[in-house]
Amino acid sequence: MARIIFNPWLIAVIGIYFAMDTGALADAPLVYATIEPAQITLGESAVYTLTNMGDSTDNVALPAVSGLRFEIVGRRRQIEFINGITVPSSATIIRVTPQVAGIFTIPGVTPKSQPLVLQVNTTPSSANAPRASGGVTPYRAPILSGATMPKGIRLTEDGSAFMRLEVPKRELYVGERVPIDIQLGMRSGFVQHLDGLPRFTGDDFTLNLTNSPDRSEESLDGQPFVLLTWHSEITVVKPGSFSFSAEMPITVRIRTRSRRDSILDDQFGDPFLQNIFGATVPKDINVTSPPAELKVLALPTEGRPPDFHGAIGTFSIESDVSPATADAGDPLTLRMRVTGSGNFDRVDSLMLEHIDQWKTYPPKSSFRPSDPTSHKGEKIFEQPLIALRPGVQTLPALTFTYFDPNTRRYETARTPPLSVKISPSLADATAVTDGKVASTVADPYGGALRPDHAIGQTMMESLTPLYLQKRFLAVPSLLAILFAGGWFAARLRKAPNRKTKKSDRAATRAAKRALTGMEAAARNGDVGSFFELALSAVREVLAVKWQLAPDQVTTAEVLNRTGQEGQELTQLFALADESKYSGHKQGKTDFGRWMRVVREQLLARNAA
Amino acid sequence: MNRCTRVAALIVGTMLFGGQIRAEPAQEGYSAAALYNLANSFARAGRPGMAVLNYERAGLLAPNDPDIEANLRLVRESTHQPVRSRNWFERIATMASPEATAWLGIIGILTAGASLLTGVLSVRFRWLRRMGTVAGIGLVGLNVCNAVVLWPTLHAGVIISAQADVRVSPVPMGDSLFVLPEAETVMIKAEHEGFVLIETRTGRTGWVSRASLASVVSR
Repeated sequence: MARIIFNPWLIAVIGIYFAMDTGALADAPLVYATIEPAQITLGESAVYTLTNMGDSTDNVALPAVSGLRFEIVGRRRQIEFINGITVPSSATIIRVTPQVAGIFTIPGVTPKSQPLVLQVNTTPSSANAPRASGGVTPYRAPILSGATMPKGIRLTEDGSAFMRLEVPKRELYVGERVPIDIQLGMRSGFVQHLDGLPRFTGDDFTLNLTNSPDRSEESLDGQPFVLLTWHSEITVVKPGSFSFSAEMPITVRIRTRSRRDSILDDQFGDPFLQNIFGATVPKDINVTSPPAELKVLALPTEGRPPDFHGAIGTFSIESDVSPATADAGDPLTLRMRVTGSGNFDRVDSLMLEHIDQWKTYPPKSSFRPSDPTSHKGEKIFEQPLIALRPGVQTLPALTFTYFDPNTRRYETARTPPLSVKISPSLADATAVTDGKVASTVADPYGGALRPDHAIGQTMMESLTPLYLQKRFLAVPSLLAILFAGGWFAARLRKAPNRKTKKSDRAATRAAKRALTGMEAAARNGDVGSFFELALSAVREVLAVKWQLAPDQVTTAEVLNRTGQEGQELTQLFALADESKYSGHKQGKTDFGRWMRVVREQLLARNAA
Repeated sequence: MNRCTRVAALIVGTMLFGGQIRAEPAQEGYSAAALYNLANSFARAGRPGMAVLNYERAGLLAPNDPDIEANLRLVRESTHQPVRSRNWFERIATMASPEATAWLGIIGILTAGASLLTGVLSVRFRWLRRMGTVAGIGLVGLNVCNAVVLWPTLHAGVIISAQADVRVSPVPMGDSLFVLPEAETVMIKAEHEGFVLIETRTGRTGWVSRASLASVVSR
């Protein structure tokens, strides 16, 4: 505060102001604000002093600015003597702490007063730059608005900003990429904000800005400027002469006072005095660079190599192969590095094609830029190769053709040939002995590994066993079905005979049971049981023989089928009926006879 | 053409079909010798996981190759993996290669089927038919035994990375249960979105990343 009060310029100005308009001073209190310093680093605080030169003791309303925190840290009263006049004043000391980096505008304390600008940097280095003190500024030389400053800089009408276009060369070739710098200079405290990105005027060029600008500070003609620099590049696709410039929309604060008064402001050249002596209003303007002239030449057609792919610039190449020694059949990698500056997007190479005793594959490339615009860098081509034969093999030299705009002719860069030692492969280096081969490669098992085998011609389609493969499983399945079907068919075919045999066996068993019963009845002299069993056995036998039911075998049926040969059977049937109904008793010889008759019938049936 | 002639023609046709399957050339296939040599290369290069994997594959095609068995044993011992000798049953079941076993099984089916069929149709040469039936069933049994012995190998996998985290769930952030060393052979139980459910020889289970494991038989 003391610096402000005893600053000779401030005292002189206030004295002149009072001398010119003391009535106004008496009518209304003079209120003004200062901030010190006007440029700080994030993490620091600035002092915002609100001075009321009068008797008013109104409460102070803290300004509200997004990103800034205001805290009242003290108040003081004092009496100043200016030109013999006693001027009481009160000051409120406010601490301003930024929350983020940037350029902040603190509104004026009265509607007519100028806003203050506080610049908050992120890095200490930029904060160490010469500070534009918002409160007290050393003498600055006046800036003539709209004038051209040194270095070809042309300020805007209000002197707040300038645009500069830096093109390294004015003559280039079609397809050549030229780096350019677009620079915006902003006078501290005048530019309120940026309204867009730089662009080119006209349709001949397009500008693609992908990187954020570099920020720096520079003193031009004694005035501090904040410089924003965008790095880009241009490519022209048709020959001819072109003129272009860069422009950018910004919002600045312009003075509302007369030109004559503004010259006085320029004597002080900072927002603080503008707050006191005049007001500003925001205005949208376009800041434009001086035009740049370009002459674009067509590439010469004479002497254009057939392998030229459009690379324009200054390049150098080198190559290597790794590993330097390998076995035949093992892959190697051949690399070609193209370094320099130019249009790397047109840098291309097919590397090596169709070399004897080598198998080549298409190369792959990768690019590593060394500047933000990718104008400089290194492009690496990698090509896999396989040596087909052992021995010291030589890879031929690699070439790369480009157009050098400096020498204005096509150039062909070459690499020296590379030698590679190719050892015999396992198959070549081993001799087959007893179906086994001995490996030449040492193993970590100290030779305990058994040697490799000679590879025959037998190849299996799958590791899955054949019997688990679906196609093969069809064969045993089909065979099993065929045999099962045949077996069942044969069984069915023999089924009727089996049925007959079964019935025969049953009849035989029944006849045996009958003979056994007849013998028992004969021993007991039981004539009725004897003939009943005999009749039953004969009926069973004849029923099977004649395919009749046993009860259908009668005396008449026997006579009908056997005639005279069945006399004994008819007698047996008659005796059986007689013994059953009349109780006739026979002698022992009769038992023997009829036993014989029945047995003969059974035997005759078995023979059939 | 009577019925017997038709059946015989059908059998012959089936055999020709099987022969056609066998006769199809394998353009890109597997060879026991090539797999064995590949395994040797991996072993020499200090990659026991890949070596064990290819020895196992070679062993599937040539189960009685002593070189494969010896080198597999050597690599497993070098990685401190347990080495198990085949018992008599496994040796008998794998006395022929799986392919030969498959064809022996076919011959067994033919022999047993023909013997049973002629037994129904005729009563002559009873002993010869019985011997044919027994021999046929024996060959089919040999085929089944071969499948039983090889079944675990067909569903096995080998850890091919330096070590593999076994997780509780098939997700990358799943809790780790334990770590399997390279060349460890495990049983594959299931697969789910890049993870394989495995069971170790000690019966522990968990999920392993597919990138850390290779199946002996590709699925």
